[in-house]
This record gives sequence, structure tokens and C-alpha cells, in this order.
Amino acid sequence: MRNILRKELRLSASLLSFLFILFGFMFLLPGYPVLCGAFFVTLGIFQSYQNAREANDIVFSALLPVAKRDVVKGKYLFNCFIELCAAVLMAVCVILRMTVLKDAVPYRDNALMNANLFALGMAFVCFGVFNLVFTGGFFKTAYKFVQPFVCYIIAVFVLIGIAEALHHIPGLECLNAFGTDQFTLQMMLLIAGILIWLLLTFISYKLACKRFEKIDL
Amino acid sequence: MSVAEIKNLCKDYPSFHLNDVSFSIEKGRITGFIGRNGAGKTTTIKSMLNLVHPDGGEILFFGKPLCGNENEIKQRTGYSTGTVNWYPRKKLGEIVDVVKRFYGSWDEEAYRKYLGLFGLDENKTPREMSEGMKVKCNLLLALSHRAEVLILDEPTSGLDPFSRDELLEIFMKLKNDGAAVFFSTHIISDIEKCADDIVYISNGRIAASMPKDAFAREYSAPGETLEQTFLRLERGETNA
Repeated sequence: MRNILRKELRLSASLLSFLFILFGFMFLLPGYPVLCGAFFVTLGIFQSYQNAREANDIVFSALLPVAKRDVVKGKYLFNCFIELCAAVLMAVCVILRMTVLKDAVPYRDNALMNANLFALGMAFVCFGVFNLVFTGGFFKTAYKFVQPFVCYIIAVFVLIGIAEALHHIPGLECLNAFGTDQFTLQMMLLIAGILIWLLLTFISYKLACKRFEKIDL
Repeated sequence: MSVAEIKNLCKDYPSFHLNDVSFSIEKGRITGFIGRNGAGKTTTIKSMLNLVHPDGGEILFFGKPLCGNENEIKQRTGYSTGTVNWYPRKKLGEIVDVVKRFYGSWDEEAYRKYLGLFGLDENKTPREMSEGMKVKCNLLLALSHRAEVLILDEPTSGLDPFSRDELLEIFMKLKNDGAAVFFSTHIISDIEKCADDIVYISNGRIAASMPKDAFAREYSAPGETLEQTFLRLERGETNA
């Protein structure tokens, strides 16, 4: 497992995948749909798939002494690695906004969603949707990535729109909690987001293994 | 002793069928796989590497089916797929450093030896290499982990006559060390020079699979070279 991840990081990955992790800091931007940061992180991962196709990476990996499902596993491990790195940056931003910046005026006077634990949970859901729709779709052919990426863009922006709108619905204001208000609920929402990410990634991985097994390279 | 057996391999494409392909690869022998473009050589080799899914038949390495034993079999097997361009912007040394960790039997001494023999530079990227150098890179990876079987798709294509000669000598040495070498080629003189066995594929069917001497006795006319024999057979003239 370590070898296949090392191969992904050293041979297949685009530098942009690592640079785009920094979009996690978008969780500090006031008056901006912060979940777009999660989208930009996945846009960076997408660059690595382009890079990998140009380098004949899938066939090269399939020729290594690993089972075909390990080629798929390598891609999912890479996705998760980048996503977790970005989530750490986002978590730092969330902690800052929950503590030292909790009363900062630009964050309080913000019609858009607050970058709180719920937002972090939703970022995980965005990552899960990327793993499910894009990576799962990519492994239908292990070659074509435009269609799965367009489908992912539509799905993720619908999701971001819903997430941004939710706290305006009467009774759901608690989703936009500041500081440590509604901490238990916020924490549960974060855990739910992580669980959805894990579930979507696992379902996608299993589907991708089945699909990749049937492909002639 | 057979180290690889291909039994009744079938693969249907819309415009091409691989029909009942069967042959075996023997330990300590060099097998030349010959056939014209589109005859089914690459499909057969890709099936042997589990890159293509056969519609029927069985592929065994070391007595074990490829399906389910892929990892173990690939550890004991070396591959080269011609001039395919892997990671064009990565340095050879970096590619090797990643790849060698996958092989428990990686032989650093053999790697250094072949690196020098092929005149390759670890600091060069595949995009800076000629087609022949890329073939050598693939061979370098295949030869550096003490493979018991080498499956090579057109390893001599793109090589200059000196490199080809060196490579054929390496095949002979590997054979003497007990390895099995299976290589496809269009260059019949390569087969004439070093192959012990011939597998001849034509229109998706195995037309002959036998030792080279037996092939010559059965198919060649007196004084005819192997190349002339193949040309005659491909033209449909079967009478020697």
C-alpha cells in the first residue's frame, strides 16, 4: 500500500495537486462561498489524472507486481491524502474562526455560510462526491475524464448551493453557529460529514475495482 | 519444464478474433513469437500480462493461474512493452527508485550492470531519449529483478544493429542462467540467431509452435532461410 501511494506521489501526481491544497485556506475568506475551496482542492487532484494519462500511468501501474485493484487503490489513496491535507488546513481555519476570530466583524456580517464545523463536514461531503462521481466515473474507462469531471462539477455546485442556502431556512439557523455555540450539534455534523466521505469513497472504490477489472488496457 | 502455459486463449474484437491460441514457454529456452502486423501477437502478450481479458482459455505461470496469483507471478516475471513512453518528464533514476521497491528480488548489481551496458543515464527523462533508448529503459526494469521469465513485446525494434546484437547475447546469457525468454519480433534474423523455439501466429491462430530445428525441417524448402519460409507461408504457399 505504501509503495503504490509513493508511486502516485512521486510519479503520477501533478505539482498543482499539492499547490491546490492551499485553497484550504479559503476557509478564512469572509463573504465568499468557502466550500469553493474544497472544489479547488479537487480541481488540483484532477490535474494529476490528466498528468497520469499523459504518462501512460495506468498501464505502467498495471504492469507492476500488484493486483489490478491495487492500481485503483493507489488513486483513491492519493485522493484521500490530498483531501486530508486540505482538511487539516481547513480545520486550522475553522478553529481560528471559532476562537480568536469569533467576533470579527467581516465574519459576523456575512450572508454566506460561516466556516464552522458544519462547513468542514460539508467539505468532506464535497470530497466524497469527487471520489464517487469523478474517480468512480474515470475508472469506467481508465482513460476518459471529461464527462465524469463535468458531472462532478454539476453535482458539487448543486451541493455547495444547498449548503449555502440551508441556514437561511427557518429553524436551521443553528447550522451557521459562531464560536463554540451549538458545539455538540456542530461536532455531530462534522462527524456525519466525515462518515459520508468515508462511505462515498468506499462505495466508489468498490465500484471502480469492479469496473477496472473489466477494462482491456 | 514449462514455466508458462497458454491454453485455448480466445479473444473476440469486432474485426479480429484470437482463436484457440495455445503454446508453452520452457525454462532455459528462448522462444521467438512471430507473426505479421495484426496477427494477434500483442493481444496474446497483453493477455499474458493481464492487460486484456480473454474471452476464453487459461494462462498459467509456474503451474498457477494468472488470475488470482497476479502479484506473485509478476514478481517472478519481467516485461517490456516496446517503445511505450512512461512518465516522459521524470528522470530515469526517479522512476527506478519507485519501481524497485515493488520487487522483493530487486538486484541492484544487475541494475547497475545493465545501466552501464545499455549506456543509459539516470538523469535523463524519457522525453530526452531516442526510441531505442526507451526500449532499453523498459528492458532495464525487466532485467533488474532476477525474473525467471521475460515476456518482451518487440524488444529489438528501434535498436541499432549493435544494441540488437548485445541484447540477443544477453538473452543467451539469461537462458544459460536458467531463465525463459519469450519475445515477439518482426525481425526474423533475430529469431534465426538466438531462438530455440518458434511460436508462429497467423490471423489470430497458432500456425506452428515447435523447436526451431523442427520448424525448419517441417516448413522450410532446402536452402531456404527462415525469413523466406515465413514470407512463403504468409503468402499462403504451404508446400516446402
